[in-house]
Amino acid sequence: MAHLLAEGLRFRQQNTIIHRLDPRLKLLISIALFSVALLTADLFQLALAFCAIAVPAILAKSLRRLSRVMVVSLSFAALIFVINLVFGYGLIRSSVLTLRFLAIVASTSLFFVTTSPDELEYVMRWFHLPRDFVFAFVTAVRFVPVLMLDLTQIIDAQKSRGLELDKGGPVKRLRNMIPVLIPLIVNALVRSGELAEAMESRGYGAVKKPTSLYALRFASRDYAGLVVTAAAWAGVLLSFRVI
Amino acid sequence: MAIIELRNVTFRQPNGVVALDDVTLDVNEGEVLAIVGGNGAGKTTLLKHLNGLLKPSSGSVKVFGKETKEQSVAQLSRRIGLVFQNSDHQLFSETAESEVLFGLRNFGFSEDEAARRSSEVFSYFELDSLRLRAPLTLSGGEKKRLCIAAVTAWNPDVLVLDEPTVGQDYPSKGRILGTIGRLIDAKKTVIVVSHDLEFLWPLGARTVVMSKGKVLRDGDPQSIYADSSLLEGAGLRQPQLVTISKMFGNERSFRDVADAVEWMARR
Amino acid sequence: MGTDLPTLQNVTLTLKKGEIAVLAGASGSGKTTLLRSINGLIPHIYPGEYSGTVIADGLNAQETPTYELAKKIGFLFQNPENQIFMFTVERDIAFGLENLGVPRLEIARRVDESLKLLNIEDLRDRSPSELSDGQKQRVAIAGALAMGPELLVLDEPTSLLDPRTADGVVSLVKELNSELGLSVLLVEHRLELVAPIADQLIILSGGKVWKSGPPEEVLSSEGIHEVGISPPTVVEVQRRLRSMGRWPGSIDLSVDAFFAEAKGIWR
Repeated sequence: MAHLLAEGLRFRQQNTIIHRLDPRLKLLISIALFSVALLTADLFQLALAFCAIAVPAILAKSLRRLSRVMVVSLSFAALIFVINLVFGYGLIRSSVLTLRFLAIVASTSLFFVTTSPDELEYVMRWFHLPRDFVFAFVTAVRFVPVLMLDLTQIIDAQKSRGLELDKGGPVKRLRNMIPVLIPLIVNALVRSGELAEAMESRGYGAVKKPTSLYALRFASRDYAGLVVTAAAWAGVLLSFRVI
Repeated sequence: MAIIELRNVTFRQPNGVVALDDVTLDVNEGEVLAIVGGNGAGKTTLLKHLNGLLKPSSGSVKVFGKETKEQSVAQLSRRIGLVFQNSDHQLFSETAESEVLFGLRNFGFSEDEAARRSSEVFSYFELDSLRLRAPLTLSGGEKKRLCIAAVTAWNPDVLVLDEPTVGQDYPSKGRILGTIGRLIDAKKTVIVVSHDLEFLWPLGARTVVMSKGKVLRDGDPQSIYADSSLLEGAGLRQPQLVTISKMFGNERSFRDVADAVEWMARR
Repeated sequence: MGTDLPTLQNVTLTLKKGEIAVLAGASGSGKTTLLRSINGLIPHIYPGEYSGTVIADGLNAQETPTYELAKKIGFLFQNPENQIFMFTVERDIAFGLENLGVPRLEIARRVDESLKLLNIEDLRDRSPSELSDGQKQRVAIAGALAMGPELLVLDEPTSLLDPRTADGVVSLVKELNSELGLSVLLVEHRLELVAPIADQLIILSGGKVWKSGPPEEVLSSEGIHEVGISPPTVVEVQRRLRSMGRWPGSIDLSVDAFFAEAKGIWR
């Protein structure tokens, strides 16, 4: 289940209008979407707000992927619902909280599905997050596929020594992970050591404020998108207060 | 007698790339086989079919007469020991000895039997000095030889070595060649995959040349290594001994440097 | 450094501008330590006892911070995967320049230049995970070159590559040296590959310089096998013939040159 979630949230390059928007705007859209859910306690309006997320999702041709993520988070949602009931918050309040949770998950997923790690880095830099932190994030994402490949190779090697990962009770299975995890971790550590050497050799840390080959710049479609988002957001909130 | 039979094996990767294209190959008992080709030729993919890590998209792979499709990796590995290219993908134990015991335990040997076999294999490959060392502190060559010993310990009929010399220095390559010699002495069927023809030359083994998932040639090394256009097409480099032999118009390539020097001294 | 015996002892080395020097030695000979002293990783990153000086292009490596040295010395490592940081080739080449605070337009210009120099313009927008090993190695070199170094240090750049790709990298290095006048220090095991392009060959053994000089001299020296070096076959043949008094000519590094000379001598 965890890997379904990871797979569902992975960025896929597509050429939709949403994908082509400035990542800062995409972030704003996500925030706008779930802020509406946070600002109302009316069940009907909440349901509407949640369904509204489908609109940009469809525009981004990501409705199916988003639905898969939602299906996975349903179990968490159910948990939230039950816990709230147990603590005596009543059916309505519990439903409100559950729907809000789902709305947050849906809108942030939309952001991640439509934003490449590259763009994520630019957004983080724009927020002036510490350079080392941003770089750590970039490196982590960049090396995920590499580590996954290492993992398959390690599993192949250990299976060839008779390790059977799908046999035995829970304790045995956990113990069987050791011959897989240790090489994985050791290799990752060695890799990061080599990476550090390479970074030094490329002058990392030479300057407090590194420059950048590209910069985020709003294009006309972004301004248009900003206006549409602002108008829609205001309009929805107004109509909610009125209704 | 053929103990491994590949018939029209084609393997398609999930991304659509055809890694093996209609490969038909037999491996006979007790033979030494070298599979050569550049990176991406399909050599490793082929190896993974031998112990069931991969099953063919079409065609059949039979090991000791039984289809690999009907057997698990553990079952097949008991008889076909694979030593992968990257030793760091296998080593995880506290001592070299526990590393060897790991495979033995997986295959169900009793503690006594496992301990016996472990000692045997350490002394056979002259690795006794490494026994209590931590595998992660060993040199590249030592790690490789340890991996080969660990796989030999459970006495598979066939040993398959995937690129055993990558990243190794000259003395280490010599020791690995020696290790392969020990395997041959023990009458094992040995398959070595490599793109290092200089290293393979002394083995004089039957050679299968692969490129882009296909088998280009299968036969005696003398004629294959002398075929410059074949080697170039497969992205391989001809050993200098062979180039020199050909330049002087010899039909048979020199066995080794001493052989070449002797011949030339007589000119 | 972590051991009782010094890893390097009394190593004196001179590299001339525009020269290609090859550094060879068995593992444990001190090559890695020496290289890390040149680009400042020792002593700035790796602690240990250090005496003597390393002067690179007028800069004292012990006293200059690593990032200053990075402007003068481009360092390439063995595993191309661990030298590519960014999501696209273009941005990776820009990485070093961004670190140095170079203005945007200048970065763009140098990135274009590097891409063209290494013939990888078509890889500009690609992600590193899509690239072959040879391509990754080129991208790494492009990234180092973009910083405008005068010396390129390559630590076993071909050891993980197949023969065809390795040949490509070596020719590339030779090209960069002849076209740009780049000085090169290359650490390599496969001497048959690099001896022909080397102006100077230095062999380390046990932390000391065993011999240095023109490759044909060093490779035909007595005792070379004892320090863990295997001369290319063609050189070894000539060396033995010479010791038998049967080779009055000079030592050739390539098979073609050897054959041509042999024809002359034995006519």
